[in-house]
Amino acid sequence: MPSVSKLLGLIGPAGLIVQALLASLAAVVGLLIFILLRRGARHVYFWRRDRRVLETRADWNAIVAGTIPPKEWVLSRMRREIVEGILLDRLEVAPPKEAQELLECVRFSGLLDTRVHEARTWRGWRRHKALLALGRMRVPEAIPALTEGLDDAEEECRIAATRGLGRMGLPRAAVPILQRLSTGKLQVPSSVLLDALINNCRPTPGLVLTFLLKSADSAKPLLARVLGEIATPDLDEDLLLLASDESSEVRASAARALACAKPGLAVSILTGLVDDEEWFVRLRAVVALGELEDPRTIPVLLHGLCDRNRQVRIRSACGLSRLKNHLEDIICLALKTQDAYAVQELISELERSGGIFEMVTALGDSRRRAKAEAALLAALRGGCRRILLDLVLHHENWRTRGALARLLGHSGDSELLKIMELFDSPGLPVRKRRVLRWLERQLAPTQASLSQAVRVVA
Amino acid sequence: MIGPILQWVNTLMFFYYLACNLVYLRLLVAAIKASVLQNRRQKTAWLDRVRRSPLTPPISLLVPAHNEERSIVESVRSLLRLDYPDFELIVTNDGSTDGTLLQLIEHFQLTQSDYLYLPQIETKPVRGVYLSRTERRLIVLDKESDGSKSDAINAAMNLASKPYVCVVDADSMLERDGLLRIMAPVVNDPDRVVAAGGIVRVINGSQVKNGSVGAVRLPWGFLEMMQVQEYLRAFLIGREGWNAFNMLLIISGAFGVFRTDLCKQLGGFRRGAIGEDLDLVVRMHRHLREQEQKYRVHFVADPVCWTEVPSTFKSLGNQRARWHNGLAECLWHNRRMLFNSRYGRIGWVAIPYMWFFELVAPVFELLGWMSILVAAFLGLLSERFFIQFLLFGYVFSTLISIGSVLIEEMTYRRYENWRDLARLICFCFLEHFPYRQIHSVWRLRGIWQYLEGHHAWTKIERVGLGESARPSAAGI
Repeated sequence: MPSVSKLLGLIGPAGLIVQALLASLAAVVGLLIFILLRRGARHVYFWRRDRRVLETRADWNAIVAGTIPPKEWVLSRMRREIVEGILLDRLEVAPPKEAQELLECVRFSGLLDTRVHEARTWRGWRRHKALLALGRMRVPEAIPALTEGLDDAEEECRIAATRGLGRMGLPRAAVPILQRLSTGKLQVPSSVLLDALINNCRPTPGLVLTFLLKSADSAKPLLARVLGEIATPDLDEDLLLLASDESSEVRASAARALACAKPGLAVSILTGLVDDEEWFVRLRAVVALGELEDPRTIPVLLHGLCDRNRQVRIRSACGLSRLKNHLEDIICLALKTQDAYAVQELISELERSGGIFEMVTALGDSRRRAKAEAALLAALRGGCRRILLDLVLHHENWRTRGALARLLGHSGDSELLKIMELFDSPGLPVRKRRVLRWLERQLAPTQASLSQAVRVVA
Repeated sequence: MIGPILQWVNTLMFFYYLACNLVYLRLLVAAIKASVLQNRRQKTAWLDRVRRSPLTPPISLLVPAHNEERSIVESVRSLLRLDYPDFELIVTNDGSTDGTLLQLIEHFQLTQSDYLYLPQIETKPVRGVYLSRTERRLIVLDKESDGSKSDAINAAMNLASKPYVCVVDADSMLERDGLLRIMAPVVNDPDRVVAAGGIVRVINGSQVKNGSVGAVRLPWGFLEMMQVQEYLRAFLIGREGWNAFNMLLIISGAFGVFRTDLCKQLGGFRRGAIGEDLDLVVRMHRHLREQEQKYRVHFVADPVCWTEVPSTFKSLGNQRARWHNGLAECLWHNRRMLFNSRYGRIGWVAIPYMWFFELVAPVFELLGWMSILVAAFLGLLSERFFIQFLLFGYVFSTLISIGSVLIEEMTYRRYENWRDLARLICFCFLEHFPYRQIHSVWRLRGIWQYLEGHHAWTKIERVGLGESARPSAAGI
């Protein structure tokens, strides 16, 4: 009986294997040669390039001023790329006066015209590269060529053109984007569009509003989102209109815009949005209210603190914790809601944001002590115990530790006694253990009467 | 009687091997194309745009830690130094029996707090939440251990308040702009991208300074070099290739970003799952396909997470067995997806690939070697064909490995030293014997462990990421 392998050999696999082996071998050798040659070529290229860069940097002022005629470096591809690279990098950080000189150089040297020509005639990655360079130049003359790039068949080029226009910072550059967007003709990722429009429309947010009111439904949320970042107080009535829009995304963006613009009507409009049926609209509304840092928002944020959605509760707590001068009232009002989750969310946020730590530190300051004590007692009633006990033992300032211990000792909070056991570890230094004993003595005899008092206050 | 059986087995092996190599070749071609394109895009996508954009979403970094006292402080410091506009860092001390928690308390001035912990995802009891007096972004969660990493991540996820979570291993080190880079696809397409993963590279041999990687060098140990090669192949060809077809099934548990609401909707990382990273991504695909939603799971090869790989056979073997155990467990749990048209290309291509070319590959390999031995014993083996076949296997595998070196050279070029390049190439030729065979044995052990129901979170031995704790770095 012939071997199985011989049978396979007869029907073909053996021949196939030999051919595949030879092909693989050739591919391995080819790849190795390619890798080594490529690395070698890059090594040489960058060595030459670095040398040229040094030369160019030495002549930089003369190149920018035009003392060295552009024809001396424009004709060499490597030199031109180096000059353009340095120019564009400098433009990113240059102060206005230097930027003007650099832009003049871009114009008189022909770099701008070359790139405009390339962006108009080339296709694919070369056009992409030209569009990117034009965008980085930030000159109004590039707008027509970049606008043509918006209609390119390749997404990469459209993105490059949109980004390029976005870098202009001119409302003029936003118009072609807005025109195409409102008619649904521009297909690029939304983040690219948003960035470009935010950058260009910041000086004139009214431009976005004009297009928003007449655009198709699909483009509305995006334009509203742009407005959310650049709105100004004079748009208050329009924002009121947007806050009652049918689209929930538009309403959410209106909330964002109100936080950005801070018009007089903001609190009342946002108060309405806190009861919206969509959770993310409520979320944006409480975030916006928090950013206003206005004591009038306390009742609304407390309402948000009791929301059914956890994100809304967290952001409401975050907003409330920013109102540092009203923390005592806020905690007392939160306790009155009798919503245990809401209170704990608020206390958690105060702990996380360092609010509790700040209040404890304020105990050492005679001017702020009274307010801090009241707020800390309210926080204690809200369940903020562990962190306070921990700070009694570990706060870096001994005066603050003493003041906090006295405050806790006189609080009459019996719950502290239960937690104290957790801190009373064998490794605890004697001095700290003595503090705990003292606290125990302070809290234990008056436990019954004071807990009754706490209940009354609560 | 035995002749026809052997013939049948050999034919099966031949076609299995052919299919396997064709898939690898296709992945290599797709990966080269995708990497070059990605590299061009990276050159033009300014990170500064992501950093400054008001649209960049905040992230919760979740770091599960179990007996990590050697490296935890350095890791947390390094994570807190990350360049990202808004993030919080939640470290879970998962029932460590060493001084992990004490180290954190001491170095970051942690204070026990009554921080609200809502167990939206069920986990083992939480013993306490700690907040830092010096670093507001840091939250430490102390919980009882469940023996699985999933439980530790889920507990941290319960505390996460940001729209995206990023899971990072406590023994890994992210590059400073790693978060910005990994979030780039999310920022570009927030509606569709539900998860994104970065590349994991081997830190052994490189110099670590102030919690970040200084000079990138290759390790000197044979085992570590093998792993460098494996990681390059797995990420630059495997992940990049599958990503090109939108069929990525794995986002490394060492560094991956996920949408928080979706994770919570799925019940977080599955408790008891060993390959929790693979399992979550597979369940994401499953859920989103069932909901008929448009989505994308992205791989970005640019954001680098440096990790210390095992340097001993024992701990590497344990790690690989655990990975394979996890793969088996995950695939069995999601077996309904196999050849199920409801899951589209995932059900018809990606999952079957995992079953046939990943999970049972060591079984096939074992079967192949056994059939060769039996054929040789019975005198039925054609030596010439056998040698040709063996040579082809060797050269083709080398080609795939060199393909990964090519991608590395054409795009990211982390190993700039000529000597490192030469060593990388050399190891492409060296890994096929006996490392690959030993690796198969480890994977078989993983299958065996799965069949036995072994689910513990086994730790691998590490030297630690601190400067003084890295003798291999000092040797260079």
